[in-house]
Amino acid sequence: MSTFALERDLATQGRVITALAERALRVQLRRAQFLLPSFLLPLLLLAVIASGTSAAQQLPGFPSTGSYVGFVVSGTIMQGTLLAGLTAGIALAGDIEGGFFDRLLSAPVHRASIVLGRVLGTALIGIAQAVLFLTVAIVIGADFSGGAVGIALTILLAALSASAAAGLGATIALRTGSLSLMQNLFPFVFVLLFTAPAFFPRALLNPVLETISVVNPLSYVVEGMRAALFNSPALGSVWAGFAAGIGSVILTCCLAVWAMRSRVRA
Amino acid sequence: MVSGVSSPKKIDCEQDAAIVVEGLERIYPGGLRAVDGVDLAVASGEIYGFLGPNGAGKSTTVRILTTLLRPTGGRASVAGYDVVEQASQVRRSIGVALQEAALDPLMTGRELLQLQGALHGLRRAESKLRAEELLVRVDLVPASDRLLNTYSGGMRRRLDLAMALVHRPSVLFLDEPTTGLDPVSRTSLWTELRSLNDEGTTIFLTTQYLEEAEQLADRVGIIDHGKIVAEGTPQELGRLVGEPGLYVKLIDQTQSDRARELLTVHGAVSDRAAGGLTIRTGLGARAIAPIVRTLDEAQIEVDAVEVEEPTLDDVFLAVTGHRAEEAAEDDPA
Repeated sequence: MSTFALERDLATQGRVITALAERALRVQLRRAQFLLPSFLLPLLLLAVIASGTSAAQQLPGFPSTGSYVGFVVSGTIMQGTLLAGLTAGIALAGDIEGGFFDRLLSAPVHRASIVLGRVLGTALIGIAQAVLFLTVAIVIGADFSGGAVGIALTILLAALSASAAAGLGATIALRTGSLSLMQNLFPFVFVLLFTAPAFFPRALLNPVLETISVVNPLSYVVEGMRAALFNSPALGSVWAGFAAGIGSVILTCCLAVWAMRSRVRA
Repeated sequence: MVSGVSSPKKIDCEQDAAIVVEGLERIYPGGLRAVDGVDLAVASGEIYGFLGPNGAGKSTTVRILTTLLRPTGGRASVAGYDVVEQASQVRRSIGVALQEAALDPLMTGRELLQLQGALHGLRRAESKLRAEELLVRVDLVPASDRLLNTYSGGMRRRLDLAMALVHRPSVLFLDEPTTGLDPVSRTSLWTELRSLNDEGTTIFLTTQYLEEAEQLADRVGIIDHGKIVAEGTPQELGRLVGEPGLYVKLIDQTQSDRARELLTVHGAVSDRAAGGLTIRTGLGARAIAPIVRTLDEAQIEVDAVEVEEPTLDDVFLAVTGHRAEEAAEDDPA
């Protein structure tokens, strides 16, 4: 392919991805019954924590982050982005069952663009969630010593987390094509959360969960957020967070494209 | 197989063909042979009707030709491109309106058309302009900003057709485009399809209705259990059944038994479940006068006599030896 043809193809695929992301966002907003829980459930948890019911911060070995809300908001963001990813999978399964997905497949677009459109739409939802949750956390007393840069890095990590979750949701939706199965996956979001140091530092997880958390990429993303928010390498590594986030996005998107190709061959 | 020999747009050579299918096969995991060695060719500018009952292999064939499914055997090309090796070029050349008008109910007609434009590489401004043109063409301007879940079946079908036309395809695939539509919507869609064909678009149409194929198609292929069992013009296929039968409705239904006795001299007589008699004489409409005369002489009053045109079921029975519904029950593909 010549350089000109390649540039033209990339521009076309860029327009396709943008159009599909716009559509994903628009439809998600109109299907509020699925999207709202991904904003409300994490906020509810944050509110419970803010009401002072947790004495976790008093535990020996708990890092000093000012307020427990400040520590836990990274887990709240993670919860929201995982739910947003699952919602993206549900929407895709709905497209498959309703036949709209065939319309996308019969258009001259790269299979990867179909996945990336959905992932980009979910990343934007992840950004909106992170902005909302961080704002609420600040309002109820969190103080982030990492400042604006730390907040910006956390929002980027949230976008990566939402993208990876959307890639995973898309993979399952494409493999199963079942809307009802996708709707029953909500409990697994909590399994992923509790096998990562979302609400407690890794040192305070029980030995089994701590072992699992080592191989759960979400661990590095959530710790990366904390390290950025508090500008503290003791809480985690921002670089490890980005590496785990980017790696998860690439892996899940590749799995989704593979699942899509298998679906056409099956 | 019955071959169409008097096709109005007969293919002289493969270069003229918009669609060429040779020995096409599709075996699903589990062993179900949905398409079993289909051969067909459709000329550029032709309307080809693909008939068969549910589960006969129509939709699987269309899914292969539109690159949504890979064949497990044989080959097919559309607009000169191989459906497996050159799938992307095939997708650029075709418009597709699949069964049940698969449209997102949470989008508006205009949004869907603009999205379709983007999927086919149109820039935003071009896409908006093309959407406006097509909304006018399919008479959906007043409803264009309403969500799809407020559209009627006919409106959804018209929008589905408009979406298939966004990029001005040379070949259009329509999978049962009028199933479930009322007669007015069906006629309106037929008019639009004829107009598209007049502009040069090749149309591959699957349907369960012989009437639809007769109204639209230059040639028709009938598929049963994954194989083409007959092919020809609608007239040629109709002739397979022989001359049409006659339906005779009596004013006094209690005279049916006597009428049946008298009419056996003209041909085979059978009762209709809804009342009245069907007579197959082999003479078609020419048998009306002698039949009425026989009944009149016996002082049996006739309410109506109608010529019964052969249906898909009649053609199906003639070429396969079984009825279409039986085939559908046997084969869930």
